Amino acid sequence: MALVIDRLVKRFGPVVALDGMDFRVERGAIFGFLGANGAGKTTTIRIVLDLLKPDEGTTTWLGRPTDELPRRTWGYLPEERGLYPRMTVLDQLVFFAGLYGVERSNATRTVREWLERLRIPSAADRRTDELSKGNQQKVQFIAAIVHDPEVLIMDEPFSGLDPVNSAIMREAFLEMRGRGKTLVFSTHQMETVEALCESIVIVDRGRVVVGGAVREVKRASGRQVIRIALDEDGRADGPDHLAWLDGFQGARLTRPGADYVELTVPRGVDPQAILRAVLDRGDRVARFEIADPSLEEIFIERVGVRPGDPDDLVLTPSGTPETVPS
Amino acid sequence: MSGAGRTSPGLRKNGALIARREYLDRVRTRTFLAATMVLVVVAVGLALAPIAVRYIDRSTIVRIGIVSAEPDLRTKSIEVLDGILNRVPDGSDPATWRKPYAFVELADAGAAARGVDAGDLRGVLTVSRATDRGLDFTFRTSGASDSTISQVMQFASFGVGVLDAGAQFRPPNFSVESTTGATDAGRPIGAQATASRAVLSTILIILIFITLTIYGMWVATSVAAEKSTRVMELLISAATPRELLVGKVVGVGGAGLTQYVAILLPAAVVVLLQEPLSALLLGPGPAGEAPLQGLTLPILAAFLMFFVLGFVLYALLYAAAGSLVSRQEDVQQLALPLSLISMASYIIAVTGIGTVGSTFMVVMSFVPFSSPFVMLSRILVGRVEPWEILLSAGILAASSAVVLVLASRIYATGVLLYGQRPGIRDFLRAARTAIG
Repeated sequence: MALVIDRLVKRFGPVVALDGMDFRVERGAIFGFLGANGAGKTTTIRIVLDLLKPDEGTTTWLGRPTDELPRRTWGYLPEERGLYPRMTVLDQLVFFAGLYGVERSNATRTVREWLERLRIPSAADRRTDELSKGNQQKVQFIAAIVHDPEVLIMDEPFSGLDPVNSAIMREAFLEMRGRGKTLVFSTHQMETVEALCESIVIVDRGRVVVGGAVREVKRASGRQVIRIALDEDGRADGPDHLAWLDGFQGARLTRPGADYVELTVPRGVDPQAILRAVLDRGDRVARFEIADPSLEEIFIERVGVRPGDPDDLVLTPSGTPETVPS
Repeated sequence: MSGAGRTSPGLRKNGALIARREYLDRVRTRTFLAATMVLVVVAVGLALAPIAVRYIDRSTIVRIGIVSAEPDLRTKSIEVLDGILNRVPDGSDPATWRKPYAFVELADAGAAARGVDAGDLRGVLTVSRATDRGLDFTFRTSGASDSTISQVMQFASFGVGVLDAGAQFRPPNFSVESTTGATDAGRPIGAQATASRAVLSTILIILIFITLTIYGMWVATSVAAEKSTRVMELLISAATPRELLVGKVVGVGGAGLTQYVAILLPAAVVVLLQEPLSALLLGPGPAGEAPLQGLTLPILAAFLMFFVLGFVLYALLYAAAGSLVSRQEDVQQLALPLSLISMASYIIAVTGIGTVGSTFMVVMSFVPFSSPFVMLSRILVGRVEPWEILLSAGILAASSAVVLVLASRIYATGVLLYGQRPGIRDFLRAARTAIG
């Protein structure tokens, strides 16, 4: 019972866009589809939506090939936003709902409901090009869900939203999940992924680099993060005092900070040994924390670039792909 | 597994929704309203032109040659004709009034015929006395046998015959010889009618050309606008390329037809009111030729049919062209080949009006891209069997169906391609795997 992406291959001439893309999204989940620009996310989404045919591989939803399913199965929020600028919000959304077979009066009711929920009820009769960017994005979101799709696929739903509107959008996500919908979205905001998603995949160069439940992905990273803050009591050299930890037992100093330092340590190393080494030097420890690496760190480690940077800036190969079965 | 095979609400329903949106979007714009108003004024002006021409033309004297072997008969006839046709109307001042008809005595029938052909004479009336003493009149004219001038001459000849003492009250015979060959359902039509039809044909072909090009560009820019505003990404995931294409073509076509009707209706009213209007403006008098002879219902129907079929064919291709550009400014450039094809067809049709019977013109009247133009000229000034019209329309409709499949593929591929305009090879590669 899932959306299954099964070994997709897609070439555009000499360019291999998808090179065995393979993952599954459980029904009712909020799923993060992560990757740098150009990693193959949009191509995968277009194949699921039957806008492109794969060269190899299949996509199925609840066991049925996606290209046999009605279009209203899917709600799609494209990466590039666009609406008819001269049409009013209501006319426009009722038009899109109509294309999915939603009858006019039903569509009108649903649209008004959602405008209310997204805190822009007065936008209904305004022309789209009179709205702010954030509000246009909310309208675009409604366009993706106005026909009550089973699966909602969103490309960067949070980009360009201020914190207040981001929060409103998150509420909308949870509302959709509460209604039993499956949500797949891509984003470069890793904190949002950590806050919302049960499972993720990180893709690079047309294939999955790592995937599974967020917790497992973090565990599988082979690293842990240690944060140490000293009880400084008039020390003058500040954070530099712990600079010696860089390289100690394979640890890497990833964030030298004023209040605390952060180390990335291989899984095999016992964090307690590091704590002991610090104490043995006569320092007093005010804070010691062992944590999983953040998704952002895992992303950078696996893909070689920050989320949001284009893929062609990759300097080091990301190593052998690894998939955690979900 | 084409896109159309999917269980979306279907081509008819979504096509209608898209067409409705497109139609309203277009006819509500100020430019549409303004352009339509300007064109209405131009069309009414054109429709009034014949009256203006006649107004200028009213001082023209109609020259009629009178031929007879007997000089007496010539003089006598001219006397009677002058009395009947050049009577000073009530209320006119005989001093300033000019006779509308001039009669030229000619002894030689050959010279008279040359005069008609050269246009010096509107016609030649030959009078001869039959063996039963009655008079026979033959009117030779370049106009149609039932034209106004022929009728006027018949009426006047009757007067000559009745007043002829030698005829012993035998009514005169009157016949008309028309010097032209074009036919209307097997019945010869006059040269003036032919000329009038050639003018009409040119006007209709120009009309088809202009509207095909303008409305075709509407389709192309509308597709390009959807692409550049990125609303296309939503559309293409909600509806199939075929639904989008059909809806777009029908919607823009509907807006075009609306403009057509808005322009042609007032103009048609003016054409129909030509007689009362000219009577009002020019005073009573011989009616003269109808200005656009041959603008009959079947011809209008044929015009409409070829306009609609031609528009569908061209508009589908314009839509495909529009789907290939990322910016609206590039539309013109990509649509150029299409505009060239329609322009070539238009030029062939207009320059070929004189030779509509040639094999080349016959062939071109069946070739899909030129047939809307060329078949119209053939219908208007040539000789066409009904089956030829049906075959030509059938070929046009069938090629539109083929083009729909092709254009859907181009469109499905084109709308998702952004950035550099794709090279022809990239494009073909992409189109092979596209969802039609």
